Amino acid sequence: MSITAVEPWVADPLRQFVEEARTVLALLLHPNGQVVAQFGFARAVDVMSACALAVAIHASAGELGKQLDGAPFRGLHHAGRERQLFLGEAHTPRGAFIFFTVFDQESSLGLVRLYFDEFCRQLAAAAPPPPTDVAPVLAVNFERDLNRNLAALFGRA
Amino acid sequence: MISPFATVLRSLTKQRGVRASLVVDEGDGLVVDSNLQVGQNGDKVAALTASLYRKARLSARAAGLGHAIFMQLEAERGRICAAGHNDLVLVVVADPGANVGLIRVELMKAVGALL
Repeated sequence: MSITAVEPWVADPLRQFVEEARTVLALLLHPNGQVVAQFGFARAVDVMSACALAVAIHASAGELGKQLDGAPFRGLHHAGRERQLFLGEAHTPRGAFIFFTVFDQESSLGLVRLYFDEFCRQLAAAAPPPPTDVAPVLAVNFERDLNRNLAALFGRA
Repeated sequence: MISPFATVLRSLTKQRGVRASLVVDEGDGLVVDSNLQVGQNGDKVAALTASLYRKARLSARAAGLGHAIFMQLEAERGRICAAGHNDLVLVVVADPGANVGLIRVELMKAVGALL
């Protein structure tokens, strides 16, 4: 099982989720689209695409929820013919993260939701205190940071 | 609004020693309807039992035994019984001392009612 993480503290909760929920792909990312950890992806370019799409879907669902329900929608499920996706938000002392996972008939939405709740608890418990000197996320640095994270995940610095 | 499963669930829950009865979607592992005692986590039981039942059904088929009819899991402090039809699984959580024979009869009747 190949889990790679830019921030090591997320690896164990993610590993446990993937083992228990039997999902085929998993991705943890910052709401700005920067990848934090991945499981199951073979290519950096796929992670990049998935991150961009997940952030866009999450933002759209959030805004739609605000307009329809007065609060952002925070969980999304789509069932395809063979594979299904689940998108959720995990809150930690380090801030919110977006979690994206893909599963097939080996798992189910019920199992994914069950272990996602557990994952959120473990992630929040494992999160180190937030750093005091956080640099602002600047558009000009986005691509550099993205490439650095992808290189860390796929070992191509 | 009363769900179409309310009568079936009531008949299961009124058996002595039954703590919870649920109708679960086998594919999704989500609760369709349930009758739970306080303290029972229906979502958790539904997701895990549906997964277990599905695997039992596939195992029975792989072993050439045909359709799975009834599944029973005995644990230290109780038991889980399940029977399925189409995409639905009827699940009963019961005390260790509950009469499994009666629960089985009621479960099979309930599955028949879903036909």
